[in-house]
Amino acid sequence: MTDLAIKTTPKNTFGRKLHHYRIAYVFIAPAVIFMLLVHIIPTIQAIYMSFLDLNTRTLLQYLRAPFIGLEHYRNIIVGITSGTGDSLIKGLGQALNNSIWFTIWTQGGTLLISLILALLLNREFRGRGIARTLVLLPWVVPTFAVGIIFQFIWLQQGGLANRILFSWLHLVDKPISWLIGPNTRTALIIPAIWNGLPFQTIMLLSALQIVPVDLYEAASIDGANAWQKFKSITYNYLKPVIFTTTMFGVIFTFFGFGPYNIAVSLFSSDNLGSFNNLLTIAIVRQTFNNQLYGYGAAASVLVMIAALIFVGVWYTLFRKSLISD
Amino acid sequence: MENIQKKSYFSSRKTRNRIVNTLLTILTWVLISIIMIPILFMLLNSFRSRTDIVSSTAPLIPQVWHPENYTKMWAAFKFGPLFLNSMIVVGSTTAIATLIAAMAGYALARFRFPGADAYSLAVSGTQLIPGTLFFIPLYLTFLWIKNNLGIPLVGNNLGAIVLYIGFYTPISIWILRGFFASIPVDLEEQAMVDGTTRFGAFFKISLPLAMPGIVSTAIYIFMTAWNELFFGYTLGVKTVPVGIRAFIQGAAGTQLRYDYMAAASVVVTIPITIMFFALQKQFISGLTQGAVKS
Repeated sequence: MTDLAIKTTPKNTFGRKLHHYRIAYVFIAPAVIFMLLVHIIPTIQAIYMSFLDLNTRTLLQYLRAPFIGLEHYRNIIVGITSGTGDSLIKGLGQALNNSIWFTIWTQGGTLLISLILALLLNREFRGRGIARTLVLLPWVVPTFAVGIIFQFIWLQQGGLANRILFSWLHLVDKPISWLIGPNTRTALIIPAIWNGLPFQTIMLLSALQIVPVDLYEAASIDGANAWQKFKSITYNYLKPVIFTTTMFGVIFTFFGFGPYNIAVSLFSSDNLGSFNNLLTIAIVRQTFNNQLYGYGAAASVLVMIAALIFVGVWYTLFRKSLISD
Repeated sequence: MENIQKKSYFSSRKTRNRIVNTLLTILTWVLISIIMIPILFMLLNSFRSRTDIVSSTAPLIPQVWHPENYTKMWAAFKFGPLFLNSMIVVGSTTAIATLIAAMAGYALARFRFPGADAYSLAVSGTQLIPGTLFFIPLYLTFLWIKNNLGIPLVGNNLGAIVLYIGFYTPISIWILRGFFASIPVDLEEQAMVDGTTRFGAFFKISLPLAMPGIVSTAIYIFMTAWNELFFGYTLGVKTVPVGIRAFIQGAAGTQLRYDYMAAASVVVTIPITIMFFALQKQFISGLTQGAVKS
């Protein structure tokens, strides 16, 4: 009847086990069907597609398009590493570079600011409940609206940033153009951080609340200062949360559609200049506008491999520190 | 002598602590004010005229308020149908995906069935697949189903619902598995001894006990699906983000209607804000609890 019963009788054949657990398969069946339909089957097709010369001319043949093996991969990898690729490959290399820096700045900025916020909000002060609620506000703004409302901040004429920096504080000698040129990097990173702050802050705050207070008291008696207490006590409790949220944060920033939504609505176009041509945006545009489906699939497979390598490295780097707690 | 010194040392330290504390509280409120600025400016701009928004000298607080921005935006964006479509798509997705994820999360928490580890690895593995990879075959599969089986998965709300359920179920399984694992089995076993089926025990006992987790998962799905732009756009679904994007791109080259865009941003934020703050307590505790467990 129960799980315990089966565990104490290990001599079960595989078939009997399947039969015993049939109810579990019934429970996961709907989720498995959707996973097959939306993730697994399309992904297998896409990986196969990346070996095909699938473009406008061959689209009707679909999976019977000419098989060219690793040709796309070779073109992309050789093109990017040697800098000799055509304009398409050059664009992809640039997008890769942009995405790496965008991810580092966005995730680093989010982590740093949310850590400060979490530590501040963990203190006792009047209005703490209200403060904790207000800090969640950026979260409820949909990502495509985040882009729109930051347009109001960055407009060269009438934008809030230039009003503050130019008209009020006179820190710059002419209004900055935020939405064209190299400043577009800052213009995209700041809304992305703003949007990601609440989630990271909440996660860190909840981890801070499980730190036993007597550990701090003991450390105070030993004469530890605030930084020493943070390093030897607080950080240990935050580490597992930082590990998970930053890992997913990096992946979703690197190839997710959150930054895509923000960028497309911030610049009112999906044709972004060379500074903000992020990977997702570049692959979508190159694949769909030029209808290079095989090439796009190969580029995406490489992105997935990069994500897998990142997760592997991340685990190896942090596993030790997670276990030692 | 020694006593007096000690006392003054402590009191000066106390005052220093109090000053530091006050400064930190001020810093907290300054940071929160900065975070609030974009939202306040959005609200303000939704009542300002289009010329004021792009003027560097017009007052920030409008001298003449323009609440008609909202009604004009509603007509210009044809917002009614968009809003209805979004509600249908996101509402159905949330209900179905939460239930499916609860069932799968429950199975993973309760049974060590053959394949459980592989399945749970696959569930988290789906998060490592870039959307740009599986999207083209997915679109073509949906198109094939539409043409050959007659199920309208392209250019129809149904397609987006199926897609979003597939998208958001894996993460929800992750969150919910932790919840079901933390619910003691005794109650279910008791009910089953009393003659209830496994399904009965799940629906009548475990599901209500996991309500905080269910609520936070549902809010999470609702918020994420409400945000989704790219896949809806490519599937030809007329949801709010898709409609707003079409409006903005239709205006490309001409002056953007910033006044309408501000009003639209406010309107799309309202449903999530209401839901979020009504259920904030459950949502936060649910999300963090699930994350810590898994």
